[in-house]
Amino acid sequence: MTTTAESPDTGSASAAPRADCIADSAGGVTFDITGAGEPGAALVLRRRGTNPGPDVLLPLTPAAEGLLRAVLPSTVDLAEGVWDAHLRFGEGAEQRLEPGTRDLRALVDREPGPDADRVAVRIPYPGRSGELVVRSWLRRPHAETGPIGFGAGGVTVHGRLYGVELGPGATVEARLRGGGGRVHRVPATADGDGFAFTLPYAPLAEGLDAKEWLWDLWLLTGNGRPAVRLARILDDVPLKQAIFVYPGSTVGAGVVRPYYTGANDLSVRVDAIRG
Amino acid sequence: MHISFLLHNAYSLGGTIRSTFNLAGELARRHDVEIVSVFRHHDEPTLPAPEGVRLRHLVDLRKSSPGYEGDHPQHHRPAKVFPRGDGRHSQYSRLTDARIGDHLRTVEADVVVGTRPGLNVHIARETRPGVVRVGQEHLTLPGHSYRLRSEIAHSYPLLDAITTVTRADAAAYRELRLADVRIDAVPNGVPSPRVEPASGDGKLVVAAGRLTPVKRYDLLVKAFAQVVAVRPDWKLRIYGSGDAFGNERETLRNLIDDLGLYNHVFLMGLAGDLDSEWVKGSLAAVTSSHESFGMTIVEAMRCGLPVVSTDCPQGPREIIDDGVDGRLVETGNADAVAAALLELIQDDGLRHRMAKAALESSERFDPARIAERHEAIFDELHAQGGGSRSAGALRGSLHRARSTALDGAYALRHKAASVLRKGQTA
Repeated sequence: MTTTAESPDTGSASAAPRADCIADSAGGVTFDITGAGEPGAALVLRRRGTNPGPDVLLPLTPAAEGLLRAVLPSTVDLAEGVWDAHLRFGEGAEQRLEPGTRDLRALVDREPGPDADRVAVRIPYPGRSGELVVRSWLRRPHAETGPIGFGAGGVTVHGRLYGVELGPGATVEARLRGGGGRVHRVPATADGDGFAFTLPYAPLAEGLDAKEWLWDLWLLTGNGRPAVRLARILDDVPLKQAIFVYPGSTVGAGVVRPYYTGANDLSVRVDAIRG
Repeated sequence: MHISFLLHNAYSLGGTIRSTFNLAGELARRHDVEIVSVFRHHDEPTLPAPEGVRLRHLVDLRKSSPGYEGDHPQHHRPAKVFPRGDGRHSQYSRLTDARIGDHLRTVEADVVVGTRPGLNVHIARETRPGVVRVGQEHLTLPGHSYRLRSEIAHSYPLLDAITTVTRADAAAYRELRLADVRIDAVPNGVPSPRVEPASGDGKLVVAAGRLTPVKRYDLLVKAFAQVVAVRPDWKLRIYGSGDAFGNERETLRNLIDDLGLYNHVFLMGLAGDLDSEWVKGSLAAVTSSHESFGMTIVEAMRCGLPVVSTDCPQGPREIIDDGVDGRLVETGNADAVAAALLELIQDDGLRHRMAKAALESSERFDPARIAERHEAIFDELHAQGGGSRSAGALRGSLHRARSTALDGAYALRHKAASVLRKGQTA
């Protein structure tokens, strides 16, 4: 009974190279990579999905002993989506990267100049299996949602505008997902250098005939420009849904509450009350 | 020296594992160090294993492993050596009794270090003569059940030394009057962060820990309602999730909604890299009703945050110098928490001065310095001839004879006492 199973020294268990990420307030990200077995040639960013488009290749430069640096400047466009990060060696061999430290303090309460006609957001974070992922948003123009308030049977949202101004007759349109064009509109008003609107809940829950209804919110600035999807992306939180959570109100046969989608866009959900 | 740590489970998550890994890693720079994990349920440790430290296990609980022993008949019989008072008793068995006993009777080490009461009892009773026996207390003696305290008082006299994480707990152990057992307080080590310290300008208060009732995050949320009333530009982030001892997430969620704080207070979930989260804030808050040590206080200070903490037993007051590098306020008092937070929010100069002081004073928790203190204790005991407790075979056998006699007496006394104490919590 003296069997004690020996296991090998697990001193350096992790084989994947790690990238310490530092974000700047303009939307740039610096990747400091350690643990690469051989000198890497480039950091490759590859978009997930059926139509990924071309890879983005970032050159690696030695920054110190055993440290390779790649920079994603704010000026390089990164299409909206989830990008996997790989380390490319010569002859196309690639290895996944793991995130090390993620110094994203410059992204907290980010405020691009109100004149910015293009808002670029890149947040590095660990994916489901701990791999390094960069979430990117690229919006022009952009309507950033801020504080949300409740009262009198509806929700009031305040926000800021980038790259567009509120024209006369501006509205916010709630579009029922899969609802065959069913919409509700409320006026959007100027609020400082941003916008505000109050959306009554009753029309959103009226005639509820499904387990859930999801209403996506769009801002029509009223000057003939395309509708702008409302979203909250100007901070360091890549996945808002479980963190920016709001109370629900019972309206008719449903419970209504605003929520952030997987892409951090603002929508309103109506959940049928069971029983 | 050859130093052998005995750990419940090196493959899991937790404060004891983290601080043992830190200490073992530091000691391994100069010594031959191994960590023996009673259980192994994963192939790889969840926390990064320390460099240069051998890691092995005594009982394999990996279902996928050919050596899986979860179905061993002896593993279904309750442990006799591992004390019943230790909260982990149900996970231990005749199999662990035998494996731990065999390990300790044959261990090739100069110093054996236990990391929880149940394992310290094994070490006290079974370590071969000539080996220094050290029992670490990572929680607190008064926090243990009456039964476990009895078992500690009974077995710990056979240890050479006990280390606690606070001076208050060392004092509690001294009151047990364990003859000739050295008792030292050595706090946990916390490495300096791999990111730059906080600038102190972010309008953000950060808290982190398990979402369990003892952490009293409800108190923090209520206090923060008072902060928001004065300074609506400040926000609070709480990092962490529930565990086996409870999950307050829903309760806190409802409280946030009831107080209308959904634009100001955020339950962030688990953070993989907490240091990167601390440095986004300018203040940290701890509102626990009890902290054995207060690891997060030290972590926040090392990131350059002054901490507002309740003056709860036992750790905080041994870490924070009130009014110098942080604030200590009355336990359970939301008004006091709010007042202290607002004091530091309203006065940027004061906050920055305390942040600087916190950064400097927390250097005393550097793992290298903490390891030196453990090393000095091990060194002295080793120099005294390898375990004064066990050097005399006579003494050992005397204790054993006395123990056997006392075992019966203790069992009786315990029975009587538990009848008397029924309805009370120890």
